[in-house]
Amino acid sequence: MTTTSSAIPAGRAGRSRRLLTENAAAVAVFAILGVLPLLFGGYVIYILPQYMLYGVLAMSLALMWGYAGILSFGQAAFFALGGYTMGLVMQAIGAPEAAYLGILVAATIGAALAALVGYFLFSAGVRDTYFVIVTLALSIMVEQIAVSQSQITGGWNGMFVDRMDLAFGPLGAVSLWDDWAIYYVVLPVVALVYGVLRWQIQGPFGKILAGIRENEDRMVALGFRTPLYKTVAFAVSGAMCGLAGALYATHASFVSPSLGGVLFSTEIVVWVAIAGRQSLLAALLGGIVVASLSNYLSSVAPEYWQLFLGLLFILAIVFFRGGVAGVFAQLGRPRGGE
Amino acid sequence: MYALGVAIDATLITLVLALAAFGLAIIFGLIGVINMGHGAMLTAGAYITWVCQTNGVPFLLAVLVAAVAVAVIGLVLEHVLIRHFYDRPFETLLLTWAFFLITTEVIKIIFGPEFRSVTNPLPDAITIGGIHVPAYRAAVALFALALIVTSAVVLYRTSLGIKIRGLIQNRQMAALLGLNIGLTYKLVFMAGCFMAGLAGGLITPMLSIDPYIGNVYLVRSFFVVAVGGVGQLLGGTMIGSFLIGGSETIFAVVSEQAVAQTIVFALAILVLRLRPRGVLTPR
Repeated sequence: MTTTSSAIPAGRAGRSRRLLTENAAAVAVFAILGVLPLLFGGYVIYILPQYMLYGVLAMSLALMWGYAGILSFGQAAFFALGGYTMGLVMQAIGAPEAAYLGILVAATIGAALAALVGYFLFSAGVRDTYFVIVTLALSIMVEQIAVSQSQITGGWNGMFVDRMDLAFGPLGAVSLWDDWAIYYVVLPVVALVYGVLRWQIQGPFGKILAGIRENEDRMVALGFRTPLYKTVAFAVSGAMCGLAGALYATHASFVSPSLGGVLFSTEIVVWVAIAGRQSLLAALLGGIVVASLSNYLSSVAPEYWQLFLGLLFILAIVFFRGGVAGVFAQLGRPRGGE
Repeated sequence: MYALGVAIDATLITLVLALAAFGLAIIFGLIGVINMGHGAMLTAGAYITWVCQTNGVPFLLAVLVAAVAVAVIGLVLEHVLIRHFYDRPFETLLLTWAFFLITTEVIKIIFGPEFRSVTNPLPDAITIGGIHVPAYRAAVALFALALIVTSAVVLYRTSLGIKIRGLIQNRQMAALLGLNIGLTYKLVFMAGCFMAGLAGGLITPMLSIDPYIGNVYLVRSFFVVAVGGVGQLLGGTMIGSFLIGGSETIFAVVSEQAVAQTIVFALAILVLRLRPRGVLTPR
């Protein structure tokens, strides 16, 4: 991704206006997500937290692809790793507090593996295109290990994970068996992840990543240790996937090898490409909306939906590099602005 | 005795993998496009062969039809999309990946997710030093060797080869000397797709076909090319295939297949890191 890509309006005024609108849009989105359980019940409320966690996956990819300009086909690998970790930790330690430890360990393992792979490759200046394939291989490896080490992971049958309780030490615990209860646990976590990431992206870290995306040589010449920044970005991205995987596992009460597979990794890339890779909010919504549509339409016209997604993906690459969000930004831009 | 068996097995796997990777090696090595659709092209070749054979076409003719059909599909892909993006490798990677998604879906729509199998045209085994070797596998291995050597001869001993190599070395200069760049790129891309379809057809009697058989072959083929060295069509493909396929066979002796493959992928990543330009290229 050496060519420049800009969905950014010219001028300070334009930028601050867009900043404002994205923040306002984010507040609106989370507010809507917050009141949904009051309006709906049943399946919608059961399934939405899973899609929000898909949204976290999408944001983790947007951080790498949209901001740092490095595409990863391995996000699902970290997601599955997080899910299995959560299951194993909760099995090993019976106490209700184990869930917290599971989430922590899942995020840490995601970050550690991503940091290891990332630093190993980035420090040698391995090409971005090679990185894509290495992360693809990572997905295949995790899926195959999950299938073959069935004494630990349950193989193709998958692994059952308990729904976690919200434990408060000696004060007792709140059961999250109710779907709306866990909804209100997942939503704040997703909002927090979005908020922290957005805050960091607006700051120096995000600017350095954008600098690396636009011209890495120049950033090196300016004295930035670019492999380090890329590694940190990938580690953060891996931690997000691990966290999302852990919460997904306890929400769905089930993990299977296909969560780490190539197909799921690919889906994440498609969500982000279609929604817009340079906006975290767009990626989050892309994860939620495209996954919901997939779920709905795959019951109506399963094969054609995938085909349609593939065609949309091509359109996004050839004509709309900013995805849907980019089209909106284009519409909002004043005439003659650039 | 046992060692000889492993050695023969490793040789056969090396050559078959070289055949599977060769199409990717041509396109990546000569025109710098990482064809993520390579796996889907193998799968398409396999399915076309299956369709022809179930309709009574002799096996070899079926494979040829598959190769030509995949080459034509490749030509359309190149003409409609890829040729506009030769100077942007990342975009071609994404577009060929989209091609993979769409092709896999189309195959799933037409043929369903069930396993299919092709009748083995040479079901017998031959005996080498007391080891029984499946005749078909041996024939494909020999064919792969012949194919790669022939391609190398074309590339290094003919005027077409000189044109292609000149194009790789200096695109602008080649154009100034009157070489039709667009056409040469098209030819190379088609040749790579042809090889992928051919390989897909030839591997069908050795395994059962499902819409995803190309998946793992894509990553393996890529590692073959990257480990051997991009652009080193003869030696690179052979050494890469030996390191990836051969070592997988050897690890599979001591551990499960899936674990062996994981070890090999990890080793390949290690090589990518230490020798980003392949084991053949001096640092």
